[in-house]
Amino acid sequence: MVDRYAPTSLAAALDLMAHEELVPYAGGTDLMVDEALGRPFVFLHGIEELKGITDNEDSFIVGAGVTYRELLAHPATPELLKEAVAQIAAPAIRNTATLAGNIANASPKGDGALVCFAADAEIVLRSAETARRVPIASFYEGRGKTVRRPDELVTAVIIPKKHLAGYRFEKVGARKALAISRVSFVGLMTIEESVVAHLALAFGAVEDVVARRPAIDAMLIGKTIEAARGAAEEYLAAWDEAIQPIRGRVSAEYRKQVCLNLARDFITCRLG
Amino acid sequence: MSKTQGSSHDGATAAVMSAANEAVTTATLPTTAAPSVRAVSVSFVLNGREVTWEGDPSAKLLDVLRDDLRLTGVKCGCREGECGACSILLDGVLVNSCMVAAGRVGGTEVTTIEGYCTTERFKVLDATFARRSAVQCGYCIPGMVLAAEALLSANPHPTEEEVRTGISGNLCRCTGYNAIVDAILDASKEGEGLW
Amino acid sequence: MHPISQPVVKKDHTEKMAGSAEYVGDFYSTDMLHARFVRSPHPHARILEICYPELPEGYCSVDHRDVLGENIVHVVEDDSPVFEVDEVFYVGDPVAMIIGPDPQRVKALAAATEVRYEVLSAILDIDDSDTVFFDYHYGRGDCEDAFSEADKVYEEQFSTGYQEQAYLETQGMSARYEDGLLTVHGSLQCPYYVHGAIAKATGLPKGSVRVIQDYTGGGFGGKEAYPSFLAAQLGVAAMKVPGKDVRVVYDRREDMEFTSKRHPSRCTYRAAVKDGRVTALEIDVRFNSGAFTTLSPVVLQRGIIAAPGVYHVPSLKVRGRGLRTHTVPTGAYRGFGAPQTFFAIERLMDHIAADLGQDPLDFKLAHAAKKGDPTSTSGIYHYEVPLPEMVDKVCEMSDYRAKRAAYAKEQGRRYRNGIGIALWFHGCGFTGSGERDFIKAVVGLHKHADGTVEVLACNSDIGQGIKTTFSKVVAAELGIPYDQVSYGNPDTSRVPDSGPTVASRSLMTVGELLRRAAARLREEWVDGQEQSVEEHYHEPDFMLPFSLEDFSGDAYPTYAWGVSAIELRYDSLTGANDIVGCWSSFDVGTPIDLAIVTGQMEGGVLQGLGYSSMEQMATDANGRIRNNSYSDYIIPTSADVGELAVSMHVVEFPFGPYGAKGAGELPLVGIAPAFVEAAEQALGARGINHIPLKAEEALEYLGAAQKEAHR
Repeated sequence: MVDRYAPTSLAAALDLMAHEELVPYAGGTDLMVDEALGRPFVFLHGIEELKGITDNEDSFIVGAGVTYRELLAHPATPELLKEAVAQIAAPAIRNTATLAGNIANASPKGDGALVCFAADAEIVLRSAETARRVPIASFYEGRGKTVRRPDELVTAVIIPKKHLAGYRFEKVGARKALAISRVSFVGLMTIEESVVAHLALAFGAVEDVVARRPAIDAMLIGKTIEAARGAAEEYLAAWDEAIQPIRGRVSAEYRKQVCLNLARDFITCRLG
Repeated sequence: MSKTQGSSHDGATAAVMSAANEAVTTATLPTTAAPSVRAVSVSFVLNGREVTWEGDPSAKLLDVLRDDLRLTGVKCGCREGECGACSILLDGVLVNSCMVAAGRVGGTEVTTIEGYCTTERFKVLDATFARRSAVQCGYCIPGMVLAAEALLSANPHPTEEEVRTGISGNLCRCTGYNAIVDAILDASKEGEGLW
Repeated sequence: MHPISQPVVKKDHTEKMAGSAEYVGDFYSTDMLHARFVRSPHPHARILEICYPELPEGYCSVDHRDVLGENIVHVVEDDSPVFEVDEVFYVGDPVAMIIGPDPQRVKALAAATEVRYEVLSAILDIDDSDTVFFDYHYGRGDCEDAFSEADKVYEEQFSTGYQEQAYLETQGMSARYEDGLLTVHGSLQCPYYVHGAIAKATGLPKGSVRVIQDYTGGGFGGKEAYPSFLAAQLGVAAMKVPGKDVRVVYDRREDMEFTSKRHPSRCTYRAAVKDGRVTALEIDVRFNSGAFTTLSPVVLQRGIIAAPGVYHVPSLKVRGRGLRTHTVPTGAYRGFGAPQTFFAIERLMDHIAADLGQDPLDFKLAHAAKKGDPTSTSGIYHYEVPLPEMVDKVCEMSDYRAKRAAYAKEQGRRYRNGIGIALWFHGCGFTGSGERDFIKAVVGLHKHADGTVEVLACNSDIGQGIKTTFSKVVAAELGIPYDQVSYGNPDTSRVPDSGPTVASRSLMTVGELLRRAAARLREEWVDGQEQSVEEHYHEPDFMLPFSLEDFSGDAYPTYAWGVSAIELRYDSLTGANDIVGCWSSFDVGTPIDLAIVTGQMEGGVLQGLGYSSMEQMATDANGRIRNNSYSDYIIPTSADVGELAVSMHVVEFPFGPYGAKGAGELPLVGIAPAFVEAAEQALGARGINHIPLKAEEALEYLGAAQKEAHR
């Protein structure tokens, strides 16, 4: 009987999901926060195909069954991802929680998802019949909502490695561990021959979905350092306009101020 | 509906478990079960003994351990993964048992303080925690000890900072943590070769 | 250090370490009934009707109609009901209870119980309160003169928030009525408080009530009065279903929302300064008592007695009020009213010093009381006040003076440091003549024929190590090995009433009684014979009698002293802080066990650090606690403090066992003002007069300071 809810192959899991609306259970750490009794879980931990980490030349692929603990231990895990993951919750949570689960749950506060947004990651979705890759920005339809169909499973996350080198990660929590982000931030900037070749800012815990605005970042991309410096105020003003923070235990004004402070500091440090 | 059978040869244990289990059967199942949910049978190794548990696979392992299997060294502090009092080892890895569904543990090895306290490693921690008076109200301690074990088994010679990170998911409201951290650091020295 | 300070293995170490110590939720019986409350969703309303759902066999309801004794939970006064009758006074006020075998079903039935209410207007803020539960006044000297002659007058307002005890084990209690005997066991600090409350509510004679303390997963004051409520409610329930265990173990949300916590406060202080000295203080203290009086009178008394801090100020005029609001009743929490007023006086002294251009620490030391000086209530500091030496020690540990000077200069671009220091005391034991007039503690020792000795007292080990320290005192006085002395969890059917486990009194007061009992037993000791001795409390004769009428005399026999320096590092981009370090010196007299005392001090300091900043507890539009979980009420983890160092200073108290004074509450009391002084320096702000200090406020202060600098 246990097999039915704890399949040992991806095909078996997808077959189950094709016939019944089930709740995929990877690490369980988001699902089990609530009293979950009666929820129809399909347990993914027995599926070897989901446990892989693949380090390609231009991408880092994380299987849906890979825990944060495994990511931290893996030599090829990008530093940015490691730094973000190392600050999530506490060891017992990191030992079972997964990157894919964090993304699939669509919490605005997931720092794993934040990194994926900044890196323009892609989410791999499989069903018994179909397979597709969805850019993370298109994966979300709002807080707690994603484009995943009930018969689909997130099987992997593909993180492009190209722009990860010059990163900055910041997390503002209420304490040093076991802290849910009040604001989290990733800044990526590449400068090639005095020209801003790439720029991506992403803010977590601020809106219903991670805030990532390629159109704003484009304002500085392609500019020389000097020209970018000149356009920095306009760029930051655009972010000021764009960010619509949620309010919670900390005020919307605070969240926004912190975002802008971090953005300004990052831009100023990089552009000199 | 839910019966526990100790498949170990320890008849006494099995008897205790099934007696305990019958009394709480209704407690572990929801009053309004979703149509797709039914009891499943989950076999795992608990403190070195094979056990089979039957029930809703979405039940919290915490409840299974405390209510059905009567392992009350597993403490309940919050039921949402925020305090670490219910920490156990799942295949040697520290987890909060309130954050693990029963269906997840099939085929695994589960260690609670009741099992761990018979080990040589425990004896070392027991001695260093005693010497540092690291135990006050005691409620966080079973989880804390297992967090120490998880830490030392992965990193036998941790720095103070690594110890503090290792137990950072285990809240203690009494001690201020210093005594616990020192006790774990002492154990890493005195238990040389054990981890 | 005294030989008795040498650490030993704690009496309850083994079972707690191995997970075999049974807390109330760990007991098992096949016929256990679980209880769930039906609570008011309104802050103030009239109860029109209670409609229970149809209850299946084995399930029953319990409400005020089942109370066979008086519908009163006795605390200090008698205004709290066991179950409400026709009106509710806060969100969570218990109206009824459902009991039955299946906890899920009990929960569903409690939720299905419909209570019809007529909603009444509610008062949620003490500024709007029209009910003054308590209004105390005291003073000395001539404030009017002092203020009219002052060079300068300062007036400031201070406010502090709720603090939740957040003990790891939630409240829980179990009751069983069988053969005319009601047995109650649970998580509690004061077995005889619970005993008295049950007898009153059930109408049973005292001899028919038995209370046993289970292993208790932390208290910090939260299990002083509240367990009397649970026990009375469960006792009433148990009598309805004889022969069955009825138990309630709170979930975390229920515990955080509906059990007592530290009184939020608002204080106004006026100071008259003449020739660089504070000559008079006019102090107005207001505490939010919540809906019922519970422990407010005694919390408020301690708060206002501590209001002028450690300073000798010639003229005083102090008023303290406990005000009613339609919110959860507040109660005891480590420090018991003193953290609120010490926050105010320490901040005020810092601000006056800054305004006068003086070093705040020097300013404080110049005003600190000395041995022989009058206390705030015109008693006397009978013993040495070791603050100067303790300040020196803390300065050495923290490098306070050099850092204070360095951080006053230019700081880094992103991070800004600050350091602060605070001085305080904690009056040891009950306020005033409570021991003599109300508690009248009795202890016993029972020697078995084999020479082992059992301590007979009712002070509960809630983590503070009283099993161990009592045993050490008795063993030392008898001159027998520590292992030969035992002290189990108190059971009122076996032990006398040695008073509650509160007020940092257990070791100093009850421990001394035990020492005296042991001294007698030693004299009367006959090998091979069973022997018993009993000892009763006598007030030390040096004390100036205390009058609660005009707050005069020795409020406490002696004082424990504290000095802490705290260094913070603020991130100017986010307003978040790192606690770089907290260095403290404490005098609790002779530590009966250095490791235990150090653990108490470190734990208390960490709670104080939480109180200052991260432990925020807000209420909603109905006055209901919003921060009701460990993910929302943030307490420190092991990773939150850089360095937490404690040094013990010893001034022996001749009337405490081996020179011991009160210890448990002291370390928390003065942490918040030191924290905020450090924050003020780091943030370049002045006049931060509230806690908890939030990151978003810190960011605002930083922004304001930066604007100031640009000008």
